[in-house]
Amino acid sequence: MIRTVARTFACFALLALSTTTLMAQQEADFMRSMGKMYVVVAVIAILFIGMVLYLYSLDRKLTKLENQISHHDEAETTH
Amino acid sequence: MKKNWWKILGPLLVLYSFGMGLLTPLKTGISDIRPQFISAGDTVKMEVTGYNSFYKAAEGQLRAWLKLDQEHALAAQAIEVKDDRHLVLHFVLPPHLPQDADQADASLLIDSPVDGAHVYPGGIRISQKKTNVAPGSGAAWNAPIEKLHEKDAITFPFRNILGETIRNTYYHVPMWFAMFLLFIGALVHSINFLRRKDLKNDRWAAALTTTGLVFGAMGLATGAMWATYTWGEPWSGDVKQNMTAIGLLIYGAYFVLRFAIEDPERKARISAVYNIFAFSTLIPLLYVIPKLTDSLHPGAGGNIAFGSEDLDNTMRLVFYPAIIGWTLIGLWASQLLYRMNTLREKLLWGH
Repeated sequence: MIRTVARTFACFALLALSTTTLMAQQEADFMRSMGKMYVVVAVIAILFIGMVLYLYSLDRKLTKLENQISHHDEAETTH
Repeated sequence: MKKNWWKILGPLLVLYSFGMGLLTPLKTGISDIRPQFISAGDTVKMEVTGYNSFYKAAEGQLRAWLKLDQEHALAAQAIEVKDDRHLVLHFVLPPHLPQDADQADASLLIDSPVDGAHVYPGGIRISQKKTNVAPGSGAAWNAPIEKLHEKDAITFPFRNILGETIRNTYYHVPMWFAMFLLFIGALVHSINFLRRKDLKNDRWAAALTTTGLVFGAMGLATGAMWATYTWGEPWSGDVKQNMTAIGLLIYGAYFVLRFAIEDPERKARISAVYNIFAFSTLIPLLYVIPKLTDSLHPGAGGNIAFGSEDLDNTMRLVFYPAIIGWTLIGLWASQLLYRMNTLREKLLWGH
């Protein structure tokens, strides 16, 4: 749990930093074009990435649980 | 599926907020004015850049004023329409301002029967040589502002600097509302755990806190993105940003604590107490301290939010459903975590 939370935070920090600094330097005009509409697009993309990261971490937790269950079953059949 | 209706409702409301929030146009606004520094007594050719404007269609019916305050305004002598987005306004400024001051700030008001009235608020500085201003010298600033048009369409407000990013109100702000509601849910479960000692409550509290933190992280990231193009940089050390980061770190420590304790009863008891502590720090960090000092963030010191300028009724039609939708999605995500952890506890401890 703690590792996934930390990882999520790190991912967001990296994402926010890298995209914003990159865009600020090279594509400021693009991001500011059309009344800064692309800022809204970027914000929605961040939400999408956030939901995907949540699904990814849930997937990992489920995999762990599945492994535990299969170990559990093995232990029961051998005893 | 009958009892899971809210899992459909949540995404539908968010989908609606995407559709309405992105497709509704902004009101007509004025994005640029040149020159912005003028002097009393001058004849000024003012170049105006409109936003979402249709000046060609309103040619001949346009009116414009330099507005000093409620009583003092000056009408444009002539208005040239270059194209839909560009106007040249001719002003003949009287030799004196009505006020006995070095300078005054004026707003530009344009009225069009096509786009409605729109304003560039307070951005024009008029200076005058301060002489012994004779009484009544401001008499020329008496153009009546009347019969303004209002555009009859569903639109969002146009705000300078914000531009289209005003739509982020439906994507950034609901993150915090959803986070807050999820944290309140976690708080209730933590209190209930301390009362009833039921591990179910502990699992709910942990699940709701996890999703709340995900929403907080999304809120912080979207806020940094928005701030880059409105405040100038992703992290300007604004008190609202700093306090929020501290608040989320305090919540992050909740998981450090849970990870460090093995015994489930002890873990549940200590983390329930910690959760109550974390929630009680969140309110002053997010909503009290930023109000006490200056902040760029709306709703903080020197900067009101939820005024009619920031959130009008059309925006409410998208904003409130977005909050409900994201909260329901957060509840769904928490429920998945809760159910998975329940299965794991059953497997490991048999309860």
